[in-house]
Amino acid sequence: MRVRLSAFIFVFGITFAAAQEEELLSLTSPYNYVKLLAQEAALPSLRGGEKFILRESWWSGNLEPGKAKLIQVQLFRRNAYQFWLAVPNREGEPIINVYDSEGNMVPSKSVGFEGKNVVSTVVEPDTTGVYYLRVSLKTTIDSPQDWAVIYAYR
Amino acid sequence: MSRLSLFFAVSLLITQWGRAQEAPAKINLEDPDLVFVSDSVIPIPLEIFASLDKMGAQDWGRQIESRDIRLDANRSRTAMLFGLVVSEGFIGVQAQDKESVRRLGRDVLALARSLGVSSEVEEHANAIVNGAGRGEWDMVRQELDRTRQTVINKMKELRDDELVALVSLGGWLGGTEALASVLRDNYSVEGSDLLNQPDLIKQLKSDFNGLPKRARRGDLFTQVSQTLEHLESLMRSDETGAISEGKVIEISLATRNLVEAIYES
Repeated sequence: MRVRLSAFIFVFGITFAAAQEEELLSLTSPYNYVKLLAQEAALPSLRGGEKFILRESWWSGNLEPGKAKLIQVQLFRRNAYQFWLAVPNREGEPIINVYDSEGNMVPSKSVGFEGKNVVSTVVEPDTTGVYYLRVSLKTTIDSPQDWAVIYAYR
Repeated sequence: MSRLSLFFAVSLLITQWGRAQEAPAKINLEDPDLVFVSDSVIPIPLEIFASLDKMGAQDWGRQIESRDIRLDANRSRTAMLFGLVVSEGFIGVQAQDKESVRRLGRDVLALARSLGVSSEVEEHANAIVNGAGRGEWDMVRQELDRTRQTVINKMKELRDDELVALVSLGGWLGGTEALASVLRDNYSVEGSDLLNQPDLIKQLKSDFNGLPKRARRGDLFTQVSQTLEHLESLMRSDETGAISEGKVIEISLATRNLVEAIYES
């Protein structure tokens, strides 16, 4: 009986540990915490009659102040797209802009938030094709920042 | 230097520094110093369908096919099939066809099991089947996108990067087949520009050709390579911004042949 009980505890322990490990694996992206900041800022745009539909895909990385990175994305005419860029430091002042395939900045509407660490922009592309998101940090901050970009369409 | 000159010099420096922080109006995409984020995000079919629907209601129900999935030990084919089935789920959502989405939810789970990721997908697949039954289309759409992303994340964790590329390719192919078919049935110059995706195909082709040879061995993958090459020449708008009706028909046939080959091989 004691052996059976020990075996049960052992198997239960292994199963529980495996379940916990799976839970952790889904949260292992080191940038998840920054993505949550962007998602929180996105919430108002995802409600109501003219709501945007959030994609599950997202981008992340680490940025040095004054340096920029480019993200390639395919956009479709007649749709509107909203992008959110977040960094953890409230003084981070991230910048996001959209460029067409010729490298010209596309007119967009900026959306501000209470803190300085999340910015958002809305674009309505004139043509279907590849566009580039340029993400950067103002040099008002001196340490590199983790960042995350999420996007939605309507 | 007088104090006044010093003041103007410092002011100018601050102004220039401020300007340097503004984003440039134009960037040179050929600049070797540019840093590109390597993760590529492939649009889901609903993103494209949303644009087409703004031109008028489309008959998405006609695009639903009831194809049986046949599983085998070829994980590369299974990954492409997984992407295809998810994209067909999106078509079912667009058509609000309960039965097809419930069936595809079950297929998604069977394919996930074959890829060894069923525990991650099970919850999403059940939500798809149940949500479709209740007609909760927003939720089903979100769960389909989550399913796709969950499998991609898990593949990355398992260092199965080649399967990530094939899931994305399958998803793109399924959406493109449906889009081309709708445009073929109801051609318009304005709608045809949604097939203008030369850079996206270039990227998909590069991802595919970068896979290890063992992941793209066999006749099916030779056909994938040839079809991508063919599509790259077709999915490019002319000087008016349109893709001709003839090319749309060719795109429709090429994508349909490849989809059928993936299901039937």
